[in-house]
Amino acid sequence: MKIDWAALGTVAVVSIVMSVLFTVLLASGIRAVSAARLRQQRGGGSGAVLAGGYSLLGLAGLLVLFGIWLIVPQFH
Amino acid sequence: MSLLFIVIAVVLVALIFDFTNGFHDSANAMAGPIATGALTARKAVIIAAVLNVVGACLSTEVAKTISGGFFDERLVNPSMVLAGLVGAIVWNLLTWLFGIPSSSSHALFGGLIGAVVVGAGLSSVHGWVVVSKVLLPAVMAPLVAGLAAAVSTKIAYRITRRTPSGRTNTGFKYAQAFTASLVALAHGTSDGQKTMGVITLVLIAGGFQAVGTGPHWWVILAAGVAIGLGTYSGGWRIMRTLGKGIVDIDTPQGATSGAATTATILASSHLGFGLSTTHVATGAILGSGVGRDGGEVRWGMARKLVVAWLLTLPGAAIIGGLAALLAERGAVGPVVLLVLLAAVCVVIWVVSRRNQVTSHNVTDSREVMVLASATPSTYPEDPRLAPAKGSGRAGGKAKKKQKKIKSGV
Repeated sequence: MKIDWAALGTVAVVSIVMSVLFTVLLASGIRAVSAARLRQQRGGGSGAVLAGGYSLLGLAGLLVLFGIWLIVPQFH
Repeated sequence: MSLLFIVIAVVLVALIFDFTNGFHDSANAMAGPIATGALTARKAVIIAAVLNVVGACLSTEVAKTISGGFFDERLVNPSMVLAGLVGAIVWNLLTWLFGIPSSSSHALFGGLIGAVVVGAGLSSVHGWVVVSKVLLPAVMAPLVAGLAAAVSTKIAYRITRRTPSGRTNTGFKYAQAFTASLVALAHGTSDGQKTMGVITLVLIAGGFQAVGTGPHWWVILAAGVAIGLGTYSGGWRIMRTLGKGIVDIDTPQGATSGAATTATILASSHLGFGLSTTHVATGAILGSGVGRDGGEVRWGMARKLVVAWLLTLPGAAIIGGLAALLAERGAVGPVVLLVLLAAVCVVIWVVSRRNQVTSHNVTDSREVMVLASATPSTYPEDPRLAPAKGSGRAGGKAKKKQKKIKSGV
């Protein structure tokens, strides 16, 4: 019996990359949305920033859906 | 008659193990959200319990072996399985008493290994497999998940450093609740089927089910319900250690450690290097403390947990082996074993009542006290954690309860 170092390496890299990707989408989305809200309060226009923020959050949501797809064996 | 008795005993004890598995692992998903307040304690365990049952019912492929490659499957008989399950249950309860998150799968393998060694000799265990499937993953899981969480935490704080925290918290809390739910669902699909596998294998071995058939519907239902009830009961002692004992989790850290836990568990279960959910969740929380500037990590606690992880397999093996000595003794042995198991469960439960941890006081303190008889949780290192100031309502409730107890109600 040998230790599958390649599988271990893949698991490590994929875990870190996916976790960072989710975090970047989430944190940037939150930052954009809250910046847009602040600008709205001051009476400025902010439609584009708000839309951009929500689409980043939507992408993070897609990652969660991908997680569900991975977990439920009936989907694949 | 004695075979039928053993099979019934295995089914019952397997369901008890499933229950302990649920309350031991409830914290893996929900300790973070409860600690940051993303979910209330009650809501968190209800969500986790429902998703565990759903997950258990979804899993199509039930474990065909129970040996995990650790020993020769053909050597196992139903009374060994009974002894192994007893070892796993006792180990799960002991670690719960001390508030230690330890792997339920390692406890199960340990118990079975101990029983097989007693029944068939030391040479029947494949030592190298133990190293590659237990020791190495126990070191790698917290490293991988911890690194993922540390990097993510650093990035999350950097991106949102100019944004007032009042505006970021809601988003991070939602993300944390979603990732925690994924962990609970994944746990249901992976751990629910372990018990189903054990029960089905014993039913087949006893001749009560045709070879090569899947689990009966009542096995799936019973295993799902047992793990769900266990999850719902919360395992609050372990919740406290994981949520408060290692790191003081801030909202962004909760979201990043949740993301790291989920990513690592899913990667591990789909890319062929098995890691324990418990070790991954613990490592991610630890990493989120490392990644935060000025974040405080209680390394003493982390060391204690690693020691407990390494002891889990041999510890459960010793108990499983002792149980096997008893279980192999004719018709009386298994009965005595079951009575002893019930007695141990009651004793541990009674001891745990001396310093109870419940959904009301789970976040009030960092420590899980066992033998110290002081009833109100003590706050040795940080007076800010005292309920009077810190955690208002929940602390007040716990205090009132204690007063009631003292006045003999």
